[in-house]
This record gives sequence, structure tokens and C-alpha cells, in this order.
Amino acid sequence: MLIKILRRDLRKKKSITSVLFLFVFLAAILAASGTGMISKLFQSMDYLFTKAETPHFVQMHAGEINKQEIEDWAMNHPFVSKQQTVEMLNIDGTKLLLGNKQEPEINSVMDISFVKQNEAFDYLLDLENELIQLSSGEIAVPVYYMVRDQLQIGDEVSIINGNERITFTISHFLRDSLMNPSMVHSKRFLVSDEDYQLLKVHIKESEYLIEFLLKDIEQLNNFSQSYQESPLPSGGPTLDYQTFKILNGLTEGVLAVTIIFISLLLIVIAVLCLRLTILATLEEDYREIGVMKAIGINQAYMKKIYMSKYVVIAATASLFGYLMSLWFSPLFTRNMATYLGLVPRNIVDYGTPFVAAFLIFIFCLVCCRMTLRKFNHISTVEALRAGKTGRISKGQGNFPIHKNRFVPINLLLAIKDLFSRGRMYLLLFVVYIICTFIMIVPVNFLNTIQSSSFINYMGIGKSDLRIDLQQSEDMSARFGDILTYIEKDADVEKFTSLVVKRLKVAGSDGRLENMNVETGDMSLFPLEYLKGNIPNKENEIALSYLNSEELNKDVGDILQLEVNGEMKDLIVSGIYQDITNGGRTAKAIFPTDHEQAIWYVISLNLVNDVDVSEKIKEYTKVFHPAKVTDIKGYLAETLGGTIEQLRLLTIIAIVITLGISILISTLFVKMIVAKDSSQNAILRSIGFSLRDIQGQYVMRLLIVLFAAILSGTILANTVGQNFVSALWSMLGAARIEFVINPVHAYLLCPFLLLIAVTVTTLISTNSIANNKISEMNAD
Amino acid sequence: MNTILEAKELTKFTGDKESGQILKSVNLQVSEGEFVSIMGPSGSGKSTLLYNISGMDKATKGHVKLDGQEITLLPEKELSRLRLNEMGFIFQQIHLLKNLSIFDNIVLSAYLAENNSRELINKRAIELMEKTGILSLKDHDITQASGGQLQRVAICRALINQPKIVFADEPTGALNSKAAAEIMELLIEFNQTGTAILLVTHDLKVAAKTERVLYMLDGNLVGEKKLGKYQLNKNDLREREELLSRWLAKMDF
Repeated sequence: MLIKILRRDLRKKKSITSVLFLFVFLAAILAASGTGMISKLFQSMDYLFTKAETPHFVQMHAGEINKQEIEDWAMNHPFVSKQQTVEMLNIDGTKLLLGNKQEPEINSVMDISFVKQNEAFDYLLDLENELIQLSSGEIAVPVYYMVRDQLQIGDEVSIINGNERITFTISHFLRDSLMNPSMVHSKRFLVSDEDYQLLKVHIKESEYLIEFLLKDIEQLNNFSQSYQESPLPSGGPTLDYQTFKILNGLTEGVLAVTIIFISLLLIVIAVLCLRLTILATLEEDYREIGVMKAIGINQAYMKKIYMSKYVVIAATASLFGYLMSLWFSPLFTRNMATYLGLVPRNIVDYGTPFVAAFLIFIFCLVCCRMTLRKFNHISTVEALRAGKTGRISKGQGNFPIHKNRFVPINLLLAIKDLFSRGRMYLLLFVVYIICTFIMIVPVNFLNTIQSSSFINYMGIGKSDLRIDLQQSEDMSARFGDILTYIEKDADVEKFTSLVVKRLKVAGSDGRLENMNVETGDMSLFPLEYLKGNIPNKENEIALSYLNSEELNKDVGDILQLEVNGEMKDLIVSGIYQDITNGGRTAKAIFPTDHEQAIWYVISLNLVNDVDVSEKIKEYTKVFHPAKVTDIKGYLAETLGGTIEQLRLLTIIAIVITLGISILISTLFVKMIVAKDSSQNAILRSIGFSLRDIQGQYVMRLLIVLFAAILSGTILANTVGQNFVSALWSMLGAARIEFVINPVHAYLLCPFLLLIAVTVTTLISTNSIANNKISEMNAD
Repeated sequence: MNTILEAKELTKFTGDKESGQILKSVNLQVSEGEFVSIMGPSGSGKSTLLYNISGMDKATKGHVKLDGQEITLLPEKELSRLRLNEMGFIFQQIHLLKNLSIFDNIVLSAYLAENNSRELINKRAIELMEKTGILSLKDHDITQASGGQLQRVAICRALINQPKIVFADEPTGALNSKAAAEIMELLIEFNQTGTAILLVTHDLKVAAKTERVLYMLDGNLVGEKKLGKYQLNKNDLREREELLSRWLAKMDF
């Protein structure tokens, strides 16, 4: 009996059932995938950390050390199981050439060091998570570079030291449990023991990792305290096992949490849809319920009949979602597989996503049960009296149509319906707002990042042209030549030259860190500052947002910088946004030599009637190999890849948004049409055509859509803008203001939603043609 | 009198041909201003005939002409237009729009038709309500009226666009005898102003007040009894009822 009713109901309401299924299915896929990712992440991290024998405590130190003293201390310490001191040879990125790339690592903020394989623990592993052993001439490169530069085994890595060039061949890519993630700004390259000795002759700068493996990791805090109290070296930061775990887990973890968040959003939509559908069904079957109650059918049994449909939908959707997540799993864990290596599939990999999908199922059931509590409030007499058309809705008195003289009748009826059933349309309104938000935010941000004003977030002022001269043997001589040429060029209105140097700055923990500092006159092409002003005095410095955060410096604070071999106190004059060079730059006007210059920048404006593109051609030819670009060209070159990715993301967001609006509109319209069947039959009997009635539905949905687009757009331009700023603050831009293309944001996007909703409504209301008053009477 | 409605060989199948033929080549004519009733046992196809002849449902075969215009082949939009301007409907169950007030239910189709200004439409609605004795309910919701009152609302709605013909499917079927008599009196009054009425009923007392009675059996119109125009306040109702009763007995009703 139950199966019969169920089958009939599912057949009768195919579209509504399909949409409900889809929402729960998508939510289940994402929840299962997200939790699956998290479980895989923890397992993979444990696997890598076990294989690598990751140290529990690491003290970094730059400067002299006494190895014997450390070993003695460790040997006598009750908590220590093993101890080793790792020497790292540090080189400047400008001296490193990777693969086929001929340009050195100038823009990179990575601290690059060379090491040999460790003997006791903290092993550097290959892509199979096995210990790497190298022969002379071979090098193992961190996976970060493999992914970033698409390096291959057999490619070359060269170190340029003055006139000398040492070349290695890549034989392995390495996983480094301490420095794997891209957000860790130190990377270890592994060479053979012989090559290490050779490099040691050429590279004078070194740093130490004093590493400890404890007998019991529970003692980590006590051990850390006892190390701090000891006289052992502490000229650098301390790191521990938990930090390594957090750093390794963060990137993938953020992705997994995002996926779970989207799944929660979908499940909220799904549950709202379920609730709406159940309420609509109850209202449709109001009289039947009354009859069943009147003839004494048990209420629990009736609830069971209604529940069974949703149990079947939620169970199949969750189950298929779970199975699909297993199939999708390699896609979601691809990055994790590269950086951490995956443990073989096991019961946990199947179990965790299953639990997530099962929770989705349970959540749906609980919501259905709660909604079905309405059953208890249905009075038999009231239900029987209300008849076939269900309860008389409230709100007849609102918005009387005979008081209106001009508004077309179909529009009047549409508005009246919105007034009398406002709560029902709330679901649609909320989902449309979400859709508008998801669509407009990436569109606006894409437009912002493509606009020339985005230069504000790149730490440079606006100029017609920019000349970048990167490191080469005769860089300073060329720079002089360029300046002489420009000074004599009558087409140039004004220009300024800036020297970028890599200087040592005292970090918050006292350790010296590298920082790119741009020096020169910045007043000609001023920059917008988040706080404070440009440096006007020689003892002032402006910091990029990320530098100010990491160094924990605000406007007015003192910063210590090593200039010409001496530590100098500088006052922070301002903080600006900069996403270039990893977001870590600074600007100062103190006089400087060209000793440590890593590149030069010349910004210039041309007099009015000069053709910029012609000038670019001329300068490119004359100043070769310097890069000459206008602002747009510079933006395209610097952000080209990001813009492409963002464009893809925007397209995906638009497709998802349209998909959700089509699904929710289908569900809503199908449901409401089923609910309104008798009313529509009456309308048709008194002369309303199918078109008229379809028009009313389109108008109702479009009114809701317009209101949602308006609210969604306001939210996108306020909350969305802050959200993007919060995300990009990690890259260096903390206060992004959208540059809006009104055609895209206010015409094209709403138009797409409008078309999707209109077409969906028209298709979904075609069934009104079957609502015949003759059949209603036959009932 | 000109023919306002004409059905020729109207046939309706549902399902298989043997058991599912509800109308079997029905021929029917209604003249301008005529008041015709259709009687017959349950399941004989009376209501089906009404809905098919009015274009509310689609006949399988046959032709229907309304005021000389063939309507069976009209597209949905034009058929709706025709229903709006030329036809009125009254049903046994009170098919009123539940989210509109009584007055709005009456004026709705006239607002759609746009034949007159909304002011004139409102004026006509008030006249109709006055005539049917429900003006006091003007601003009421449909939940605040009795079954008889709601049927009067349905009559006002059917007549608001001054249709050429009104189709009534058991309009008194759900009412007590007093309310039923009052509704019939109203229909007779409106019929006397020139509106043709085609009415389906089981009730001999109702049919006795109509001009011509058709008898339907198993999808066929098998008999016809002309009673002539019924004049209100003329004391011949009993005679008409007896005449009709005898005829119906002959028809095995």
C-alpha cells in the first residue's frame, strides 16, 4: 500500500522530486567530499610526518653555534630522544636559475637554501615518500617549484655566483615536512654530500636548524620552556610539530572547509525546499487528511505515508552523493597527493564521507519530521469544511484590486499574490539574493583587477610608462644610460627613478629577514596609502600592508633596517597595499648606492600628444633588455595568470548561479502551480488564457527577482567587497574597492538571471493547460 | 430567433472506444435568449456535453458554432477571449478565487476584458449585486458569505461581461430548496433580458422553469420537451412540473 502511494506520488510530481533530489544530492557530494578531504589530509600528513620523522621542536638560528654544547645538553635532557643540527646554505633568489627559465628568482620572496640529506631524522622524501639518495651532480627540488614552474626530471638548476655557474640535474622532487607548503617562505634544495661540500666553498651565508625529536610529544610544552631557559642558541624563530601540521594542513584544510560550507548552504536551501514542498502538499491534501482523520486512520500512519517519500528522496540522494564523492575524490585530493602523498585507500576513506552523507540524510529527516508536526494542528472539521481548494488563505482584504484604476489586471493579481503569500516567496527571495551575490562579486572583482586603478594595490603610483631593468652584469651602467636618454627626451613630461634593494630588516622576533626596499623620489607618482603618508624624510619608511602585519609595525613605530652595513632606526610613515613580491615591500627615500640593487624602475609621464604605444616600441628597442610597459601592459603581465583563473572562476560562478536559480525556480513554480491548480482552473473558466496565467507567474517571480537582485547587488558591493578585501589581505591588499562595470554588473548579470527565471517559469507553468475545471468538478 | 449555439455530431472519447465514449455524435441548438435545460441520470454525459460545447474541454470529434463562429478549431488564446466576452459560467461548487474579496471576484473578468472603463465596470457590478441582493457583502471576503450568497456572486461574475450565453452546471445542486428557488428566479430574470442559458440539472423543479428540456442518456440526447417561456409570478409552475414529470417517466427517469 505504502509503496503504491509512494510510486504514484513520485510519478505525479517528477520535477519537484528531481529538484529536491538534486539539492540533497549536491549537498551530500560536497559534504562527503569535504569531510573525505579532511580525513585524507590528516592521514596523509601523519603518513608523511612518520616517514620523514618530522622533528618535534626546531630552533632556527643564524650565526655561530657550538654543536658539542647542544649535543651535550640534549643527551642529558630526559625528554630528548634524538637531536641533530642541520646546516643550510642560503643563497639569494637572484642567483638561482630553475629549469628552462632563464630569469633568476627576482620577484620571489622565498628564502632558498641548500642542504644534504639528514642522518638521524627530518628526512627529505621523494614523491613516493621514500628517502632520497643523490649522486654528485644531481639535485632534488621542492614540489612547490615542480608545480609552479612545471619542472621535469632531467631539467637543470643553476646557481650563479659572480662569474661562476654551478649546474645540477633534477633527479627527484622532494617533499619536506617542515617547508612543504607554499605559504612557508623557506625552501630546502637537496644535493649530494660531495656537492654540498663544494657549495659550502662558494656560499658563505648559512643558517642552522637545531632539531629535537622527543620521547613523548606530550612533553613538548615543557621541553620548549626548558630550551628557552637554556643558554643554547636562539637567534631565530622556534617551530614545533603542531606548527608544521597547521602549516601543511592549512591550504587543503581551507579548501575542504570551503567545500563543506558550500554544502551547508546547499543543504539549507534543500531543507527550505523540503519544508515548502511538504507544507504545499499538506495544503493540497488538506481535505484528504481531514477525511482520513475522520474515518479514524492513525495519525502516525498518515505521517509515515508523507514521510516515506522524503525518506526515499533523502536516502537515495545522500547515497548517490556519497558514491559520487568517492568517484570525485581524486580530483579534490590532487593537490594533497602532490604535496603530501596519499596513504592507500582504507576504511576511514570510505567511512568518513559516509558518515557525512548519512548526517545530511538525518538532517533532512529531522526537518521533515518537524515540518510534519503541522499534522497535529489540522482539525478534522476545519479540513473537511475547507474543501478541495485547501484552507482559505489570509489576506483577501489586502490590496483590493477594484481600488486600482490603471495597473493591468495580471500584474495586479501577481502583486496581490505576493502580498498574501509573502512568507512563501521568502525562500525564493533568499536564494535569489545568494545567487546574485555569488554572481556579482566575482564579476565586480574581475572588472576591478582588470582596471587600471588596480595599480593602487600593486604598490605603485599611476604613470604613463614604466621601465623595469632587472639584474644583469652591467645593470647600473645601463640604468645610467637610460636616465641620460630620458632626460634628453622632449616627449617626457616628468619621470622618477627608483632603486629596489634587498635589505635586512629586524623581524618581530629579532631575527634578520630579507625585505625588498624601493628607494627614490615617490612624490611624483604618488600612491594611495591605507594609513599615513609617503616617506618624506630620510629616516622614514613606508611598509606594505603584509610587512606591517608581519613585522607588527604601525604608523609611527620604529623599524630597524640594515643600510650600507649598519642598522638604522627608521620611523614607519605610512602603510600601503601591495600584492607584488609576495606583498612584502617597503619604500624609503634615504640615499643609497647601487651595491645591493636587484632591479631599477623608472616611471614616467609623456607630454599630451605623444603616442604611448609608439614610445613603448622606441624604448623597448633602445633600452633592450629592459622591460617597457604601460600600466595596462604591466597589469596584464603581472596579473595575467590570476586574471585568467579569476575569469574561469567567474564563469563557473555564473553557471552555478544560473543552475541554482533554474532549479529553485522550477521547484517553486511546479509546487505553487500544483497548489494553485484549482484557482488556475477557475481563472481559465472565466476567460484568462494560459498566457495570462503564465504571465502572472513570471511577474511574481520577476518582482521577487528584482528585489533580490537589488538587495544582492547592495550586499555584493558592501559585504562582498569586504569579503574580497579580507581574502586579498592575505596577499597584501586589505582594502579593495570594486571598480564596477555597470553594463556587466547591472545589466548583463541581472539579464542572465532574468532570462533563466523567465524561461524556467514559462516551461514550468505549461502544465497549467491541464488544469480543467471540468476535472475539478468531476473530483 | 437566430441560433446562438450549435453543436454537430459532438463526440468525446476517454480511454478506449468501446467503454470510453461519453458523447455520441450529439447535435444541439440553442437560440438567442433561449433557456434550455439538460436532464438525465448520473453519468449520462450532461456535464461533459456542457464543458465540450463551451470549449472548456476539447471534443474528440464534431463541431460547435457560437454565434456563427466555429470554435472547435480555435487556438487556446482566442477561445479564452471568447469565454471572457461571450460566455458566462456558473458551477455547482462555488469556484471563486479565494484570495479575492467578493467584489473583486465579480469585476475580475471585466477588468481583463477591458471593454469598459473600470469605473463603469464597478458600477455594473454594483447594479448586479443589488439585483441579486448581495450588495451588503460588497467588501466582504468569500469566507463571510453563505452558499446561496456565494452562488449569487458566481451569477454576478458570469454576467459582468454581458455574455451571449451562460452555461450553468447544477447551479442549485448544493443549495437548499429556498435558496435554489431564489437562484432560479434570478436566472429567469437575466434570461428575460436576452441572455441565453444552457443549464444542466437533476432537479425537476428547476428544469420545469426552463423553456426547453433535453433528456440525455448514455451520451446521446434522446428526447426533447418544449415547455415554453416561464413567466415569473404566473401561477402555472405546478402544471409545468406535472407535464415534465409525465414526460420524464416516459423517458424512464
